[in-house]
Amino acid sequence: MSTNTKTKPKYFNRELSWLAFNERVLEEAYEPGNPLLERLKFLAITSSNLDEFFMIRVGGLSLLRQQGIRTPDLAGITPAQQLEAIADQTHHMVEKQYTCYTDELMPTLQQEGIQHVKRDALNAEQTEYLKRYFHDELYPVLTPLAVDSEGEFPRLLSLNIHLLIRLKSPDSERPESRIAVIQLGGTLPRFVTLPSEARYEFMLLEDVVSMFADAFFPGEKIQECVVFRVTRNADIGADDLASDLVAEMEEILDARKESACVRLEINANSTRVSQAYLRKSLGVTNRETYLVNGPVDLASFMGLSGMGGFDHLKNETWIPQHAPEVDRQKSIFTILSRRDILLIHPFESFEPVIRFIQEAADDPDVVAIKQILYRTSKNSPIVNALMRAAENGKHVTAIVELKARFDEQRNIDWARTLERSGVQVIYGVKGYKTHAKVCIVVRRESQGLRRYMHFGTGNYNEVTAQLYTDVSYLTSEERLGADASAFFNTVTGYSQPQNLAKLRAAPLTLRDTLLEMIHAEITRKKQGRKAFIKAKFNSLADPKLINAFYKASNAGVKIELNIRGICCLRPGVKGLSENIRVISIIDRFLEHSRVFYFHHGGEQKVFISSADLMVRNLDKRIELLVPVDDKNARKKLIDSLETSLKDAVKARELLPDGHYQHQQSGGRGSKWRSQEMQYRLAVKQARKIAQAKPTVFEPHLPIQDHETT
Amino acid sequence: MPQLKERQPGQKPVQSNTNTMAGPRNKKSSTREKLTDTFSGAVRQVAAIDIGTSAIRLALAEIDPHGQIRRLETLNQSVSLGRDTFTEGRISYETIEECVRTLSSFKQVMQEYLVSQPEQIRAVATSAVREAANKDAFINRVFIATGISVEAIDEAEITRLTYLGVWPYLRSDSQLAVGNNLVVEVGGGSTEFLHVTNGNIAYSYVSPLGSLRSMEHGDNKDTGRSDLKHQAEVLVDEVLEQLQGRENIHLIMLGGEARFAARQVNPDWDPSKPAKIHSTKFFALCDTIQSMSVDDLVETYHITYPEAETLAPALLMYATIAKKLRVRKLLVSGITMRDGLLMEMVQRDAYSREFNRQIIRSARELAIRYDVNLSHADEVTTLAGQLFDALADVHNLGSRHRLILKIAALLHEIGQFVSERSYHKHSMYLIQNSEIFGLGQQMQTLTAQVARYHHRAKPSRAHSGYASLNRIDRLAVSQLAAILRVADALGQSRRQRISKIHCQVSEALFVVLVPGVEDLTLEQVALQDKGSLFQDVFGMEVKFRRKTTTA
Repeated sequence: MSTNTKTKPKYFNRELSWLAFNERVLEEAYEPGNPLLERLKFLAITSSNLDEFFMIRVGGLSLLRQQGIRTPDLAGITPAQQLEAIADQTHHMVEKQYTCYTDELMPTLQQEGIQHVKRDALNAEQTEYLKRYFHDELYPVLTPLAVDSEGEFPRLLSLNIHLLIRLKSPDSERPESRIAVIQLGGTLPRFVTLPSEARYEFMLLEDVVSMFADAFFPGEKIQECVVFRVTRNADIGADDLASDLVAEMEEILDARKESACVRLEINANSTRVSQAYLRKSLGVTNRETYLVNGPVDLASFMGLSGMGGFDHLKNETWIPQHAPEVDRQKSIFTILSRRDILLIHPFESFEPVIRFIQEAADDPDVVAIKQILYRTSKNSPIVNALMRAAENGKHVTAIVELKARFDEQRNIDWARTLERSGVQVIYGVKGYKTHAKVCIVVRRESQGLRRYMHFGTGNYNEVTAQLYTDVSYLTSEERLGADASAFFNTVTGYSQPQNLAKLRAAPLTLRDTLLEMIHAEITRKKQGRKAFIKAKFNSLADPKLINAFYKASNAGVKIELNIRGICCLRPGVKGLSENIRVISIIDRFLEHSRVFYFHHGGEQKVFISSADLMVRNLDKRIELLVPVDDKNARKKLIDSLETSLKDAVKARELLPDGHYQHQQSGGRGSKWRSQEMQYRLAVKQARKIAQAKPTVFEPHLPIQDHETT
Repeated sequence: MPQLKERQPGQKPVQSNTNTMAGPRNKKSSTREKLTDTFSGAVRQVAAIDIGTSAIRLALAEIDPHGQIRRLETLNQSVSLGRDTFTEGRISYETIEECVRTLSSFKQVMQEYLVSQPEQIRAVATSAVREAANKDAFINRVFIATGISVEAIDEAEITRLTYLGVWPYLRSDSQLAVGNNLVVEVGGGSTEFLHVTNGNIAYSYVSPLGSLRSMEHGDNKDTGRSDLKHQAEVLVDEVLEQLQGRENIHLIMLGGEARFAARQVNPDWDPSKPAKIHSTKFFALCDTIQSMSVDDLVETYHITYPEAETLAPALLMYATIAKKLRVRKLLVSGITMRDGLLMEMVQRDAYSREFNRQIIRSARELAIRYDVNLSHADEVTTLAGQLFDALADVHNLGSRHRLILKIAALLHEIGQFVSERSYHKHSMYLIQNSEIFGLGQQMQTLTAQVARYHHRAKPSRAHSGYASLNRIDRLAVSQLAAILRVADALGQSRRQRISKIHCQVSEALFVVLVPGVEDLTLEQVALQDKGSLFQDVFGMEVKFRRKTTTA
């Protein structure tokens, strides 16, 4: 590539990089090799991703623009320019989403017996059914809001589907039409299943309501029913924006009174009159208006993609395997007193982690359990175990992060339940999000007190642990135990930060340690020694780290990065980054683990972390960087990382111009799909152990119920 | 460990078959019951708390049956005790509550490590609490809120604890073990010097000049600093004058600021080993720190405000000492007072043999300085010890009082240096006003009183020194003085002919059997002069008899 560093900025804009990620997910929806319902799921994901993007990122940038702030980002563009570029991209993306839906997925789904029925295709039985359904189920709960031509437009809920109804006045002397709005959504199901033989036929809620909307306006004639949806900027926390946009953000957030509308989606079949009316009423420009050629809110098709049956249209189930390190006949503490355990989820089951906490709750020798909970599932077996432990008289401390986005209410609820059972609950740290994943068990043994730890890259959530690639590291190593406790005491506010022997924590030392490790590789390379860096994580936007990677590249250090999402680093540019290769994998499991591997003169320094390399993670969050020094664990982790870096099926390589391209390197013959490789390996290992052992009948454990769903 | 009654003989084993994780579950013992049983294991958990001028620190550790200490956790929290006491003379209400909150959270962590009984916890406070006008209110408030009983310790105690912590550390290093070491700790309210040569304490001194105390004077930072520099130089000159033998001296720095410096110079420093810093590097770091504002320090080094406030003055003090000593290499030790506290708990009996040896050594040096007849002093000391032990059931005093008796015995005649006349009174005030390493103020007072009453007048409340003691101490002084009188009488010949005695205790008679002597007349005459105190105190008449060797 002959890209010149002088003409192109050194960094990619993070919003555009994020959009490129969503584009890659959309590609998977187009990918004919994927099972049909999985393609629909990918499409739904792109839509829910965009919803969040508009609420948080576009919402934040809009606020900045309104305040007249012109501070440019890393790539040198102002908020206003960014918004313009984002709008260009998203309009294009939305078009592609609907082309995918209308031209690709719906016709094929129809062939497979899943049909989105339009009003004019209904048979008599179905029409009759809908009529009854509307009058029994919908009519009583829906309330049209009349819009006074003089008065204010009603305040509409963000992300809800609405119907705009234009009525023709019977009074011919006042020709202007009367307007009403009906809010749909809430608890009403979006998909209305129609009576049908052998097929799955459905109609969308808004179409059913439109069909019978006359009922709300006796004596009036409906001119037009328009489906639309507004998106407002979310209640943005400082954590989301402050550090990586501008410092003034917090004040802006305080000053803000009402969240503005940042996006308006309207069904493209609507008349220009209605479109203009909505734009005007909501204070939205053309650029912020998206005319969609199909149903709004494709995210809700996630439910359709997961419906029962149609297994041939879904991925073959990959049941998380039992890791050979974990002998089910032995107490997890017995195993850990002899060896470390490293698990690669979801190829390997999360069950040992749950067992770790459950055993701790019931083990009479366990004295204390300390854990940080960020997001967890409903009826979490981990939360239940913690409560049982407290009831058993153990000292249980849980740090519950209430600021986990969109999970606030749920977290408050179960935090209260925890407190009632005697768990000491601490609600995070002021000004920071507690994002580290760690659990410490203190156990009394004949040699004295011993600490057992779990460190993770993902949340304590057994459901997402089956969908995200994450790493668990269980160990009883003494110094890690002392560090983990000291870290915990800092987060609980019991102590000021201590100097840790092995662990590194954000916001204090995590970034500096990574920078030191990068610089150590540079030094070695300059001395003519072997040096390389391999890593996988989700986002790269921290300028200090990007610059360190550039410096390393210039020194000749080979850098291979597997970055799922945002990457502001521009790879492959001569004189800047020609030794850096960046790939991104989008496959059936969400790539989520964070692993850093430095050659370090042959010492092989490997870390796992809860942190992504973004300014907000490193400055505004409590995160951990955990060295994996145990030989076996380290080897397993390196193997997994290298497997992912070799992916030639689901990986795309980031080009110097910011585009992502499918891997061609292996040629047609090479079908190295890293998630599949890792799953096959886990199966092989589990089988080997099973064969080596005499038959033991094992009862089903509660967690396995999830594995089959 | 208590044996769990899992199965009675003949009873069928009960196995839970419902799941594969049955292992620990089928023990039906109550965890709560078991948790309170804190000393069931061979290993015991202990906590050492140090309430300093700018921070409260907790060390949680385990002590195994061999006396090995394993650190479990360390916590620290900044508080502004020194700031309150050194400027206002008392601890503010807010600060007291801040300390209570901190100690309550420490207590939480202590419980997680099975530390809950008073004998597992040792909490001490230094100058900021000791010198506060409302010291008692502070200690009471902490006790009521947390159940932790805090002892405000004096300089001698601090020195003793430092020695306890530092000696095992010095001993483990072949060079330092036999070397000439000056251990210095610059604290918030004081600076401590401990000169250890060949494992013995040659000199110790605690100065009331500290990183926080000096700063409180000037509000202008610069004059404050130059003022401090001057004060530090004067102090160091004074201290160095007292040092005997400054050749090849190792400067060993203790304290948070010294540890900070060690980590700056060597980020990978393992605090269990000494950090060696070249003086030029240390001075350069010191200069950098001096040039920075407190805000800059907080920002640059990720430290708290209280830590940043003491950093520059403390490093300046260390640098002044290093310059005066002209050492090339500075050593930083990770040892803290908590190590001393933990060592003390290891030894359980605080006045361990090693430490007693140090105190007695220090007392003997004092005796030499005042031209005491050492052989007589040693003889009386030995005899007093034997009498004390023989009377153990009668006096009910412990090892602390045994030590007081022995030092009083060593020093009882030092007053003769001043004048033969009423020398026992000179002995009293010389002992009272001399530096005896490791003997706290209170023990030193008792020692002086015991020495005073070894001769002539019996203890009386008409004597102001005696009258100022409490009832228990007065009784102890009388008992010890009575024993010392008997020992002194036994040593009357000044020929060291009596070294081993046998004693018989009966209803109203205390018989001392002396083997291997022909004649005890001299001793018996001396006893008549001195003996009645013994009868007054113990209600027994003393008799010396020759012990004939029986075949």
